Amino acid sequence: MASELVIKNLHASIEGKPILRGVDLVVRQGEVHALMGPNGSGKSTLANVIMGNPKYEVTDGEIWFKGENILEYSPDRRARMGLFLAFQYPMAIPGVSVANFLRRALEAVREGPRPVGEENPSGRPAPRKTIPPSEFRNLLREKMKLLKVDNSFINRSINDGFSGGEKKRAEILQMALLEPEIAMMDETDSGLDIDALKIVSDSVNALRGPKLGLLVITHYQRILNYIVPDFVHVMFDGRIVRSGGKELALELEEKGYEWLRPEGSEVAVND
Amino acid sequence: MTEALATTGFSREAVIALSRRKGEPEWMLQKRLQAWEIYEQTPAPLGRRGDLGTLQRLARFHFQELYPYLPADGNGALPAPIEEGLRDALVGASERSGLVLQRNSSVVRVELSEELRSRGVILTDLDTAVREHGDLVQRYFMTQAVPLATDKYTALHAAFWSGGIFLYIPSGVEIEEPILAQIWLDAPAAAAFAHTLIIADELSSARYVEEYASAFEGEQPSLLSAVVEVFTKNGARIEYTSLQDLGRNVWSVMHKNSIHEADSSVSWVMADLGSRLTFSNIGSNLIGNGSATELVGVFFSDQDQRFVIKSLSNHVGLSTNAETLVHGALADESRVEFDGMIRVQPGAQQTASFLSEHNLLLSKHCRAEAIPGLEIGANEVSASHGATTGQVDEEQLFYLMARGLPRDEAERIIVQGFFEPVLQRITLDSLRTRLRRNIVRRMRGGHESEADWIEAQERWEIEGVDEGAVSFDRPSEEEEIRLLPE
Repeated sequence: MASELVIKNLHASIEGKPILRGVDLVVRQGEVHALMGPNGSGKSTLANVIMGNPKYEVTDGEIWFKGENILEYSPDRRARMGLFLAFQYPMAIPGVSVANFLRRALEAVREGPRPVGEENPSGRPAPRKTIPPSEFRNLLREKMKLLKVDNSFINRSINDGFSGGEKKRAEILQMALLEPEIAMMDETDSGLDIDALKIVSDSVNALRGPKLGLLVITHYQRILNYIVPDFVHVMFDGRIVRSGGKELALELEEKGYEWLRPEGSEVAVND
Repeated sequence: MTEALATTGFSREAVIALSRRKGEPEWMLQKRLQAWEIYEQTPAPLGRRGDLGTLQRLARFHFQELYPYLPADGNGALPAPIEEGLRDALVGASERSGLVLQRNSSVVRVELSEELRSRGVILTDLDTAVREHGDLVQRYFMTQAVPLATDKYTALHAAFWSGGIFLYIPSGVEIEEPILAQIWLDAPAAAAFAHTLIIADELSSARYVEEYASAFEGEQPSLLSAVVEVFTKNGARIEYTSLQDLGRNVWSVMHKNSIHEADSSVSWVMADLGSRLTFSNIGSNLIGNGSATELVGVFFSDQDQRFVIKSLSNHVGLSTNAETLVHGALADESRVEFDGMIRVQPGAQQTASFLSEHNLLLSKHCRAEAIPGLEIGANEVSASHGATTGQVDEEQLFYLMARGLPRDEAERIIVQGFFEPVLQRITLDSLRTRLRRNIVRRMRGGHESEADWIEAQERWEIEGVDEGAVSFDRPSEEEEIRLLPE
């Protein structure tokens, strides 16, 4: 059975300020959903809340993944279950090489949803199953080739001194490596020139298939010319106000967002 | 008279007894007595109002409960912990060109390769140097680099120094393999005074590695007072590395300073991990034109440890360079005060000086205070200094956790990454490895796979990578001061 991510009536706020005001959404493995909407409508917040960013407080609603309510799960547990978020602003972590980090991440994700040592009251965690460096390297090189990422990349610190485009490509590289079941791409297209956009889109398309469900968050219709969605949702003021097929994206391109603004909604501020 | 040495407490009688016992020349006795007088007249440094109070605590230490002199037998076998410590030294027996071992108040081993001996290198305990090279010792011992009246503790050191290391490198001699010194304290209520005097003659070079360690149980504290004086003549280069990994029942006071002639350089590497309390002063006096210094520092404090670290880059000559880079992490209730000063004297044109200090707080109860200072008396200067104190970044943690890493591991990785730019500056591989392991071991929630992570990191490093890992681009309130001639 295909894995499902089910969002029910999700409300979330940051520092007491409500951002999500009742989101309902279902993303299944094998489907590609586009989530569009103006700045500040809550798109990034939704992705962050699904991934478990502690900055946001969920005030109501549920998030179900693979039949479990994951609301109380830590971000790492969600990742181990097969969720992935390609960040809009990937964090730089100086001093930690991409290669080391990705190897650890791959080991963790392959280990599955049970965090290390959870079922071990003695507090003595089981030895981690390691991936031999040679195997890991080959795997990484293969994915790097796909994304046309320079070889020197693996030796650099995570996102440290990366250009905007490099960071976005690195995120997709991680997605390709970790093979999630449901992945969210948070404005991966912003900051990419047309060549980079093409490379990223080609790699994402190469990953498409029955095993991957995608939620592509974007302002612009542009990336959807390359990654053609099965469903398009429009978010406004913390709610999904319209859902449709891929033609909805084209309609938005033509008409803008304003015609979808719900009555009584305030002009959005940046989130 | 010798009774004064056999009981606890410092006194003028004990000074005289110590000097007599060593059979010292009159000038050294006079020097000790002069120092004792200064000690008695000088109040202990107490720090500033509102600081973290570490110097006040040091001032209240029960100095009079210590034995001023605890000689160790030089001929007998070494106690097991010291033997073991020597075996695991940062520089192994096959990698070093010389060795000095001090145990409490006595130097018990001195070794120097025959080759270096034949080229005129002198490595000996300081008592021997006083006898055989009295002119050099008289001229350089606590006169310029660390004058005996620097503070109350240096005065005590000058009055009661014992053991001690003297290294002289003749002109043009370049010592590739490091010289290792280990300073051991293995008795409670002991006061050990470790003095290191290094004179590098013109165009010579050497690498010197000093380890401070202790091996005794119990609550009753001991004191280690260390003074390191480095003189680099024209064009000489010294790389001085120290690892302080003393037990939690040791208090320590350190003063290290270099005096530079033209085009000479000293590279200081300091790692502070142990001790109950450490008051550490490191300075470079860039007197000769074109001289340079760097200080690379790492510390990790936990439990109730307290460190005070003071650095000084004193620019006197023309075109001198200094760089200070210190990264430290604090856990539990530990407290660290860092006071880093760049002083550019009038006339020290074309000075370039950089200082950066970053603290990472790993608990809610630790406290760090960083005060970078800048005094500029010349107008053609490029200087910048900055200090930051922060916690592990929640957004960084979330990023790593979103990739499947549990929180404790994510935190550990960020802390390791925080230290990495400094560790990359340490040329001694064994120290880098030792520090990495120490950092990982002291982080909470360690997993068995830690070793695996470190090995991975080392493996990548061996394969010649990680250069990109060096980055100073951390968010900071760095203040840039740049003055150029009008």
